[in-house]
Amino acid sequence: MEIGQAFTVSALGSQFLVGLSRAMILFIVSAGMSFVLGVLRVPNVAHGSLYMIGAFAAFSISNLLGGGTAGFWLALILAPLVVALVSLIAERSLFCHLYEREHLMLLLFTFALMLILGDLVKMVWGADYRSIMAPELLQGSVNIFDSPFPRYNLFLLIIGPLVGIGLWLFSNKTKVGKIARAAAVDREMVGAIGINVSWVFAFAFVLGCFLAGLGGALVSPTISVTIGMDHDIIIEAFLIVTIGGLGNMWGALVGSLIFGLTQAFGILFWPQFAIVFPYIAVVIVLTWKPRGMLKSVW
Amino acid sequence: MKKGYIWGIIVVLVVIAAVVVYFATRPPTIARPIKVGIIDCYSGPAAVYGKDALNGFKLALEEINKEGVLGNKIEFTTRDTKFKVDIALNMAKELVMRENVDVLVGTINSGAALAVSDAVAKKEKVPFMVWISKSERITGEKGHRYVFSTGENTAMAGKAGGVALSKKPYVKYWIGGDDYSYGHDIANAAWRNLKALKPDVEVIGKSWWKPGEPDLVPYITAILGAKPDAVIFCTGGRSMTNIMKAVKATGMAEKVPIWIHSATDHAVLKPLGAEAPEGVLGTMDYHFYYPDTAANREFVKKFEAAYGNPPGFPAFHGYITAHFIAEAFKKAGALDREKFIDALEGLKIASPAGEIEMRACDHQVVLPMYLGVTKKSPKYGFVIATDIVTLAGDEVLPTCEEIAEARKKK
Repeated sequence: MEIGQAFTVSALGSQFLVGLSRAMILFIVSAGMSFVLGVLRVPNVAHGSLYMIGAFAAFSISNLLGGGTAGFWLALILAPLVVALVSLIAERSLFCHLYEREHLMLLLFTFALMLILGDLVKMVWGADYRSIMAPELLQGSVNIFDSPFPRYNLFLLIIGPLVGIGLWLFSNKTKVGKIARAAAVDREMVGAIGINVSWVFAFAFVLGCFLAGLGGALVSPTISVTIGMDHDIIIEAFLIVTIGGLGNMWGALVGSLIFGLTQAFGILFWPQFAIVFPYIAVVIVLTWKPRGMLKSVW
Repeated sequence: MKKGYIWGIIVVLVVIAAVVVYFATRPPTIARPIKVGIIDCYSGPAAVYGKDALNGFKLALEEINKEGVLGNKIEFTTRDTKFKVDIALNMAKELVMRENVDVLVGTINSGAALAVSDAVAKKEKVPFMVWISKSERITGEKGHRYVFSTGENTAMAGKAGGVALSKKPYVKYWIGGDDYSYGHDIANAAWRNLKALKPDVEVIGKSWWKPGEPDLVPYITAILGAKPDAVIFCTGGRSMTNIMKAVKATGMAEKVPIWIHSATDHAVLKPLGAEAPEGVLGTMDYHFYYPDTAANREFVKKFEAAYGNPPGFPAFHGYITAHFIAEAFKKAGALDREKFIDALEGLKIASPAGEIEMRACDHQVVLPMYLGVTKKSPKYGFVIATDIVTLAGDEVLPTCEEIAEARKKK
């Protein structure tokens, strides 16, 4: 059993940055999930499937456009929109009839949806491992803290806060955002004052799923795009949403940071057992604050 | 009149003699086709490998059935295991009980292969040929009369890595890999052999991640921080692509030598395209471009004509499995499972990778391993294995004594 190595400032610094960049992806995906959970009260297990569809759509779009730099950027924009479209269809045809059901029913329903979407992805794209190339600009790495830091992760460090700011602006500065926030706190009241809650819900659902698709598209150049991605992310996203505070988007950020950073530092301190560190963090947080770090809307 | 009588007897005797000689020297024939039951994964992520193996098998059968085996031919039926052990068991039982197959063949899932080997092959006395799964326990400690392997295994891969690395000057190693049976098996086998061949090597750290872990960059930065002389990665499946991408993104291969078993596999490198890192050491038991022999070129040409893509290692295993079955039945001369096994033991056949042998002592095929370095190929437009060094099958297999020891221990 070898515990750790020389904990130099540079080693700590580089692990911090790497962990932070991973946290950005987790934040984008779990913020979407948290948003849906907060506004619609739907624990969407199929969120991971939408993340997977985002990655596959990014693969297809970038391939269709020749796989070059332009293809990548367009894929990054179009893939989440494809996912948003899929989720709009799902919301209008299925979800909108189910909001009044109890949580267990919704959980089972979204679980079934996850299985169906998983099989659909297999039928459309097959079981092969796919790979997308990042544009030239984002390939390779730069030296930070005396250690190679992939340019793509640097890019994620920029995108993450941008998405965060965008979400903040949306929920605090736009009317729809404010209504959605209000609906998260008290949806009967929102309905009572004459707002068409049905469309607010549809919008919130599509936005949440758009974020899942964006997360999938963003992660696609760093991993193999293949079936099974949905299961990887969904457990992490659920834990993050739980420790952050159910339905609280900033809670998703806090949760993602806890998750990403404990993992990165865990790898440095005790690499053989690095897998368990984020989960230990979850246990500690939930023991200390059973309702999550920030205010849960439930 | 009497003379004619004698002549008549002579003619009858000659005819009888001719008939006897004809039947005595005529090759033995069988009354019905040989039935092969294939259980493998044809849905889910592992289906790529299952289908590739099946294609290799089918291609070989076409050649075999043209001239026939014992005056008849080989037929096969497939069953989808969905990568699940319980389904594999049920399917194997069904093939034996209801379809009455003569030989069972499968599968990519080591757990399923071990279960079928134990609960069906051994119990029902049906020969079972394992063609993709890489667990060394199949023909190692869990081996028995009714199970055979026509693929490489973790012991061979590990030993190949150990032998290859022992010739390098590295002392301080870091080991990382998927935290499941395959990862640990490869790591243990590689380290056991490396340590035996070069006792001064040491492990300065280990990292284990969950199979399919999407973000391996933090592992790599931590490993680079520890400054090992060389790194051994033990990954498979999805993690294989992920680790190759992370190695490329961090430029790790330029900083420290890395050995990853099957990193030089075409199925790993092709989808990565230009994103595959160069300079990674890998071992593999088959390449469609190596060995560059007439037999291999012929096999690849036929395979590409039939299926539109070059054969992967499972196709190679499927191909030799079919030929082993055909040759063993020819040698056995009858449709008898026990005689088939006796015939298969020590059988040598010609293959795209040269002559290969089914070792009698443990029923493990003796395959050479190819150690190569990943490098972009102008000819193919993607990264392939270059500077290939061939490690002979005998050199990378555990000895018969070691196998006997392992089986006794169990």
